[in-house]
Formats: sequence, C-alpha cells, structure tokens
Amino acid sequence: MRTYVLRRVLQTIPLLLGISLMTFLLLQLAPGDFLNQMAENPGISAETIEAMRVRFGLDKPWYIQYGIYLQNVILHFDFGQSFSRHQPVFEVLYEGFTNTLILAIAAAVVTWGLAVPLGMIAAVKQHSWIDRLLSLVAFVWLSIPEILSGLLLLMFAARTGWFPVGGMRSLDYDELDGISQFFDIAHHLVLPALVVGLIPLASRMRQMRGSLLDVLRLDYVTTARAKGLSERTVIIKHALRNALNPMITLFGYTLGALVSGSFIAEIIFSWPGLGRLTLDAILTQDQYLVMGAVLMASLVLIVGNLIADLLLAIADPRISYD
Amino acid sequence: MSRPSIRLIAWFALALFVLVAPGCRRRSAEVVEYKDLIPPPAEPLIKDAPEIGRHGGRFVLGETNGPKSFNGIMASETSSTDITDRLFAFLVEYNNATQQYEPGLAKSWEVAPDGITWTFHLRQGAAFSDGHPITAEDVLFTFSLVYDDSLHPSLQEMLEVSGEKFKVSAPDPYTVVINTVRPHTGLLDALCPQGLAILPKHVLEATYKSGNFAAAYNVSTPPDKLVTSGAWRLVQYVAGEKTVLGRNPYYYGFDKRNQRLPYLDELVYLVLPDQDAADLKFRAGGVDGVDDVKPENYRWYEDNQGSGKYRLYDLGAAQSTHILWFNLNKVQPGVRGRKPVPGKQIGEPFVDPVKYEWFNNAVFRRAVSMAIDRDAMIASVFFGYGEKNWSQATSSNKEWHSPDLIRHDYNPAEAKTLLAGLGFTDANGDGILEDRRGHQVTFTLKTNSSNTLRIAMGNFIRDDLAKVGIKMALTPIDFNTLITNMHQDFQYDAILLGFQSGVPPSPHNGQNVYRSTGESHNWFVRQQTPATPDEANIDRLLDELLTNQDRQAQKAALKEIENTINQQSWFIWLPILKMKLPVSTRFGNLQPSIMAHRIIWNIDRVFVKPVQR
Repeated sequence: MRTYVLRRVLQTIPLLLGISLMTFLLLQLAPGDFLNQMAENPGISAETIEAMRVRFGLDKPWYIQYGIYLQNVILHFDFGQSFSRHQPVFEVLYEGFTNTLILAIAAAVVTWGLAVPLGMIAAVKQHSWIDRLLSLVAFVWLSIPEILSGLLLLMFAARTGWFPVGGMRSLDYDELDGISQFFDIAHHLVLPALVVGLIPLASRMRQMRGSLLDVLRLDYVTTARAKGLSERTVIIKHALRNALNPMITLFGYTLGALVSGSFIAEIIFSWPGLGRLTLDAILTQDQYLVMGAVLMASLVLIVGNLIADLLLAIADPRISYD
Repeated sequence: MSRPSIRLIAWFALALFVLVAPGCRRRSAEVVEYKDLIPPPAEPLIKDAPEIGRHGGRFVLGETNGPKSFNGIMASETSSTDITDRLFAFLVEYNNATQQYEPGLAKSWEVAPDGITWTFHLRQGAAFSDGHPITAEDVLFTFSLVYDDSLHPSLQEMLEVSGEKFKVSAPDPYTVVINTVRPHTGLLDALCPQGLAILPKHVLEATYKSGNFAAAYNVSTPPDKLVTSGAWRLVQYVAGEKTVLGRNPYYYGFDKRNQRLPYLDELVYLVLPDQDAADLKFRAGGVDGVDDVKPENYRWYEDNQGSGKYRLYDLGAAQSTHILWFNLNKVQPGVRGRKPVPGKQIGEPFVDPVKYEWFNNAVFRRAVSMAIDRDAMIASVFFGYGEKNWSQATSSNKEWHSPDLIRHDYNPAEAKTLLAGLGFTDANGDGILEDRRGHQVTFTLKTNSSNTLRIAMGNFIRDDLAKVGIKMALTPIDFNTLITNMHQDFQYDAILLGFQSGVPPSPHNGQNVYRSTGESHNWFVRQQTPATPDEANIDRLLDELLTNQDRQAQKAALKEIENTINQQSWFIWLPILKMKLPVSTRFGNLQPSIMAHRIIWNIDRVFVKPVQR
C-alpha cells in the first residue's frame, strides 16, 4: 500500500507540470493580456500601459515567462503575484479555498445524508407511491438550472426572512461568541448547500436504490429472513453494508469534483469562495492567479481520486494494490 | 408510515429549527455613543450639507466587486478607488452635486499671473489616522511616488503637461508650490479624489526605498498598519465578503456645528457579485444601497416606492457613452518597435479598399447615423429610460455640456437620398444596395459580448440599416479581442463601444480621444501627422483648451471640437441610459450623483435619521 501511494504521489509531478504548461499556453493563446482592460479608460496612455507591461514581465515571449515561473516555483516555491492585487497568489486563493471547501462539504452532507436514507426507503418500498414521489422530486430538482433554483431560494429567503439573503456571515459576526458564530455560518450555509447538494441527489439516490435492490435479491438476505430476523435488522445490518460498497467509490470520486462544483451557486449567494475569484482572474487575464487556481483545483482532483481508490481498498477486502 | 421515517422527519424538523432560529434572534440594541476626545485642528474644514446630523450607525453598500488594493496611488479600478477615495485626503475636493471644486486638505490656492505657478496652502493641524501631522512633506513624497517611472501609476499622465512633469516644492511645511512648466488647466482635476491621494511619508518611505511600494497597502495589510489621511480608516477586510471602514478620529472635516465628521460609525462595502441577488438583498433590507440596478427593474422600484423604505433617485443621463465608428486606420511606419504589417504597404488602409472608400466618406457615415431610429431604440433597448446624446459631455455634465451641437439624427428619407447621391443603387432588386462598381454595401459591426445592452443596440442598428439598404452583420466578441482589434491589429469594419468619463467629467482627460496622435482616437489611432485638415484643427483647439485660462474660451474650443467630430460623423453617437438608483430612506444628507462613487461621494456627511415614533 505504501509504495502504491508513493507511486501515485510521484505521478502527480509530471501531471501538474503538464497542466501548468497547458494552462499557460491557453492563457497566451487568448487575445490580449491583463492590461487590455485599461484601454476603455481614455485617461491611461500607451506609455503607462507599456511601462506596466514591462513591470509585470508581460513584454517577454511566453516561453521565457513560463521558464521564469517554473524556476520560481521550483527553487523558491513562489507561485507568482496577482497583477491586480499585488499579493502572492496563494495568499489571495487561500481564504476563498477554505470557504469553497466549507460549502462543498456541506453540499456533500446534503447529497449523501439524503441520498442514502431516501434511496433505502425507495428500495424497500419499491414501486410504492413514496418511491415514485421521491424520484419525481429528485429529478425535477435535477432539471432546474442552478442559477434559477438559487434565485428562487433567495426570493424565498427574502420573502420569509427565515434565511439570510446571500453572504456567509452576518455583519455582526465578529461580536458573536464561538457557538453563535458557528450557527451564524450554518444558517447562511443552508440555502447554498441545498442548491449545490440537491443537484446530484437524484442520481445518487437512484444508485443507492438500485444497489440495495440488487443485494436484497441475494440468497443470504433470504437466509437472514428465513432465520426469523426482523426486517429492520435484515436491511440495516446485512443488506445495507454490502449495498454501500459501490457508493463508497462514488463518494470518493465526488471528493475530487468538490472544489469546482459550486462556482455558480457561490456567485448567486455572494459566497466568498474561489468561484468569483477564478472567474475574475480569467476574465481579466490575471495570469498567475489563474495558474494558481487551476493548479489548486487539479491537486484537489488528484488527491480526491487517490482517496477514492484507497477507500475502495479499505471497504472491499477483495481489492489490494500490492 | 413506518417508525424510522417518522423519526427521520422529526430529526429534519429539529435541524431546520436550529438553523432557522438564528434568523429570529434579536440584535442587541446596545449603542456605544461616540465621544470626540481629540482636540480639533487649528484650521478645520467646515463641510456644507443640507442637514446637521448626529453620530452613530452604519451604511451598508452592495458592490459587484471587492477592492483589490488600498494603495491610493497604485489602485486604478473603481472597486478599489471607491474605497481609497474615502481613506485618503486630497488637496482639492470635488462636489458631485454642484460639480464645483471645494477646499480639501488645501484650505486655499491661487495661480500666479504667469498661469503656471500654483500655490496651495495646507490646513494647519490636519493629521493622519495615527495622529502624525500632515504636512507639505507628505505632499512632496506623494508626488515623488507618482513621478517614479519604475512605478508609473496611471495617475502620472494627469500630472504632466505634454509629457513634462511638474516642478513641485515646499517653501514651508504648510505651503506647496506646483510649477506646471506650461499652462495646464486640468491641474485641479488631478488633485481631486480619483487623483493624487496624500499618503503618509513617515509610514511608507522605508517601503518605497526598498522598492516594494507597489505592494504596499495591499488588501492583506493589517488595518492598524494602514495609516490614512481621509475621513475614514480601515477596520476590517474579509476577502470576497466585505470591507469595513470606521471613522478616522483625527479627520480635519467638521460640520457647521463643529461636530467632527464622518457622522457614521461604520461604512460597509458588501460584495454581492450577482446583480439579481443584490437586488433581492436590497429589497429584503440587507443593504442600504447598491451601486447599480438593471434598467428593466426601474419600473418595479417606481411602483413600490410607496413602502417608504427606499427612495428611487433620478440621477440623470449616464456619463458613460455608446458610440459607433468606422475603421479608417492606415498602415503607418513602425512605431515603438511595432513592425509594419506584412503584405501591406505603408499608407494602405487596414480594411478592404472598397469598404475604405465608403467608410472614409463623411456622407456615408452621416447616412448611417441618419438611418438609426434613436427614439425607438430608447423605447425598446433602454426600456424608455434613455436619452439621445451627441458628445462625451452628456446632459448631466453641468460644466461642459453643449445642448446645441451639430447632430445627424434619424431621418431615413435623407439617409436614402445621401446614399443615392453616392451612386449606391439596388440594381439587382435584392433589397441591398450596390456601389458604383457593383459591390454589395455590407459591413460587420463588432461589440463586446459581455455587454448585453450593446448587443441589443447592435441588433437594433442592423434592422434600421437594412431599411435603407445596408447589410450589417453583428459580431459580439470577447472584450480583450475587441481591444486588440481596435488598438493593435485593426481587424474590424466598425465597432460599437463607449467611453467612461472621469470625475470631474472635464475634457482634459479626453486628450487621448481628441488628439490625432491619441491612443483612443479610435477611428484612426496614433496618427503620425494629422490625416485631415479637420483633425489638425482639432489638435490646435485642444491646445487652446488645455492652456487658455479663460473658461469661456475653453468651452468654445471644446464645442468646436465636438461639432467638427459630429459634422464628420467620425463618431456616430447613440442614446445613453438615464440612471436611477434606489437608496434606503433611513439616512439624511444623501445626494446620489451620476458620477463615480454615486451614493457615497459625500458619505462623510451622511447620518442615520432619528426614528420617528
């Protein structure tokens, strides 16, 4: 197992190099650069823009820029500065990343917290009205675009006053004590987490339902029932354990997509995550910030996939990597 | 229903209650009374306002973007200057309501008869937020930052005349003498907010000397290290979320009853990236004002004003414009290292020579202008909230607007006559004109795809032009590509874009547009010699505008420039938005203005009105 993990970690190095090169090339292929946005302001002259181009190093050919970037990353672990903020890239990204992660985890809790029990109910009561209703609701939600469901929930919040209209913390957050602070964030988290979390619910629920149905048909379940165990014990103790196996793999893979899954909801709910930051960086071609954001998202994806593979090995004794 | 599912539902209900409960919590009504413990300066600035206010409260403003820097000299985009203009003092203040200059850190100033020596008298007793006095030393230091070519902040050009830097000196700690070398009528503009923000020498000199000034006062600077000179100081910055300003206890501004300004305890900028979400938040009372509202929502605000919670202010005509121009750029000998275009001779136009012949004819351009039904465009694209506009100094510009400029408004019959006069006929009867040599009269209009209003305008123009027999295709493209097309490779027929006006909206910073050598002289940029006698004349008039001290002569010069451009239809002016903005009625002294920092330009005088029982 240890060698396997080590090998996987070493594999990420050429992968990240390739990703960084591709991103850099794509940024160079896009017309213009960071300084183009100043052209709409007639008060800024060509000389100023030229001087800034030299200051940012954008006057050099792309391979030299990329070479300098790599050198700084490898020798000094310096990922460059954001042009617009005059701040090191990871200083800019750090806070957004944490917030995005909070939202993503909450959304995962919503998805899995609902998918597993609801999928179970649907399987146990197969073809009943509750099974059909659950599928209907889940698929309707799946087909509403995130941007619409987000705005609808915001309107709901504005009308009822039960939830805050966007944001992550209330204005008085700093005057609250620790427990109130936690609940304050949780309160702000409910709606965006619902928007993000309910989208994959339909498919996860159907998978849980199918997986449990498969298991319920197996002989050992019949044996358990024949032994006279209660239906509850049969399902929760015997069937569920095996039915969860494929779900664990799925869960691991969704870990990887966590960080990039909630950008639209973040913008609608004014959630201070990576979404707006990355979008802005791309639109203004703040190139090292884009590089940093892409590398970070890639790293999370790689780690997520690794965790998925490891989880599988832990959950299923038939799988081993040695 | 089985027992487990009932239990499940019960748990959900409990979780929901726990999460909703904080929303029902009452905010503590505890208010700490502000006590001004710092003795007033020897020469306070008494600020005029409609009402005398009282201390306390906060104003929450929703903005689409958060600040990127608090460095008053290096920050250039509005999301940052919106804040830095509150944090720092300026020699001269600009009143958005009266559109006049007012004393700022300088209590008075005069210009010598030579027209180039300006003397500014600083306010005695003014201090930074750490109590350190603000003197001429700090002004000189700030000038040296602006004039540092390795930093080259965009402000530098505003403080130069024909590329020459001013000579600045300080005969004593409270006097600054600026010698502009040549007469320069735009000096005061450069000293107003959005111009020279006075920074503390005692804090920043060491950083500057070590070469790190560009990164100084960035958003990660701890608030207590960020020493400011203006009415406010930084209290808290949370990335992507909010920026909180509090009062600078040493601020030199007072009201007429000698209460120190600002009145408010806090000014909060809340980041609300999505405009629709911001709108909902405003309606729910979560913010007191937003920086922009979509015109399609104006009607809703008008209809619901009766609630008394907000007032929809009519700000008048926008000062950012929409214009269409044709590409008259020609290949010029390489400038600044740029190589001449391969495959093209010097002096050849970038567009197809057939099209160049049409575009270069003022009659053709006028016919296009006359084909556009601006009233119908206002009714549809602007939801009725627009007005016709014929220059960059729009009707809300009190100082520089000329209401009677030459214009070529909608007149389809005349447009058709003009086109026929050019020999354009529809010989094959397909509804599209052909020129004398049989080429179909057709061109492409490019605009930036991120601006839905401009795309709607482009579609509208296409339909109007079709009615007079011109076939136009609309191509919305990425903004950066558009900028490259218009400044570097000149690959376009016509572009629909606009200019923003600075604050104050004076023509002095429009030099790059009017002058034939200018970077934003869009129809033919960076001319080495004026392409037409009219453009040579505009250059001359611009010199007049910039050097003649007589305001009337300046206005006459500007008007002649604008009339020449309109006569030639180099710019085809399109309607502009008449802006409206809702702001909470809880506050006194609000005077929202069409110009930058719309709601908050005078926020130091805004106060929370006492609640009437």
